[in-house]
Amino acid sequence: MTQSSPLNFRRSVIWLGRIVVGLIFVYAGYSKVFLPNQHLWPYFILRFSVSSNLSTFAFQVESYKVLSAAGSAFVAHTLPFVEIVLGLLLLIGWRFRVWASLATAILLGFLCLVTRAYLLHMDINCGCFGAPEPLTIKTVARDAALLALALLMTVFAFQEARKPHPWAAPQKSQSA
Amino acid sequence: MKRRHLAVAAIALALASAAFSFGLGVNHELAVRTGVDDGKPAVLASVNAESAVAVSAHQPENTTNANATAKSTAKPAEPSSRPRPQPAQLSAQPEVDPHCAFGSRTAPVTMEVYSDFQCPACKQLFKTTNQPLLDNYVNTGKVYLIHRDFPLPMHAYSRVAAGYARAAAHVGKFDVVEQALFQNQEKWEANGDVKGTVAAALSAADMKKVQALVDGKTLEPLIDKDKQAGQLIPVNQTPTTVFRHKGQTYPYAGVMSYDILKGFLDDLLSR
Repeated sequence: MTQSSPLNFRRSVIWLGRIVVGLIFVYAGYSKVFLPNQHLWPYFILRFSVSSNLSTFAFQVESYKVLSAAGSAFVAHTLPFVEIVLGLLLLIGWRFRVWASLATAILLGFLCLVTRAYLLHMDINCGCFGAPEPLTIKTVARDAALLALALLMTVFAFQEARKPHPWAAPQKSQSA
Repeated sequence: MKRRHLAVAAIALALASAAFSFGLGVNHELAVRTGVDDGKPAVLASVNAESAVAVSAHQPENTTNANATAKSTAKPAEPSSRPRPQPAQLSAQPEVDPHCAFGSRTAPVTMEVYSDFQCPACKQLFKTTNQPLLDNYVNTGKVYLIHRDFPLPMHAYSRVAAGYARAAAHVGKFDVVEQALFQNQEKWEANGDVKGTVAAALSAADMKKVQALVDGKTLEPLIDKDKQAGQLIPVNQTPTTVFRHKGQTYPYAGVMSYDILKGFLDDLLSR
């Protein structure tokens, strides 16, 4: 009988990161699509709700003055769905190192953007979640904290793959 | 020892992230500053009220003015003291200042736009939707457009701008002043020169009349009434657009492009 390794520090961080970062990504994507307008029925109402929510998000993206209007619209209409899928993949754990690396890269991008906006004293909403939220030092700190956790999780995930815990269940043989 | 420190740091980071994330939008004061009242979603009040959609007696018999700009001001009430609207209150249309209403009051759809002149998102909504909306829906009798002032307390010059716009509306120059205020938003936001911005858009005679109305403060109660109407929706951010159609009320928060708005209005009108 094989036995999984105990929940040591490295694994604890990976699990914690998976849950926290995964849930936050899912919530961030969901809230951008369904907030602030959560009108679900009939269909034309739902369509208008989602469209106006994404338009509002596009406006927030544009307010960073980094992308063109078309670029902002593209990001606004793709990023929320990417976040939902990425969050779910982190929670599921399939190809974890790939998605953890991607999530870390995305969070690094977010941190760069909010830091730049904060340093430029831009009076804008951060656009992190669906509900408009002014960009403050708290936003920068939150993004930095989340990035640190994601980075730690990713590094530990690679370490875990290279040097599994002695008690870990053995990898299945790839060859027949 | 080292590991223990790392573990503590990781847990602290996780907790901080979670706390920040789930506490989003709770800072009402900060939120108001950038056009948001709080983080609560503007839940659709799709309320059936057969008899409640009563058009105010203050509405004009027929207001056909191409100058409409859909902006309104609703006031963000203190979150804890915000009155919860009753269904009849949501569906019943609040009093309308005829000078800030455009189109036919018998139009099948009524659009009330709660707006703040200093809010960038309101400017965006104005720039993208106002003129085509007037041309294709308001002036064709399909939509009755009502501007409602919602000067957010954290915007230093919103209230002043709303006062000038309201006064201009009462001398028939609302569209000119609204356009001037939004187009030059960044300038007067920086220097506070709302009066100069309005004066540059009006003739000397009109400006004199507008200034007299502003100085007299006789129109301030109308702005307050709009704010109170917004509290009942409730308006949580600007711009918020309230659509009324066949006894149903649909409040929508945020910016929307004209194409999206057109699709929605066409769907609504086809029902």
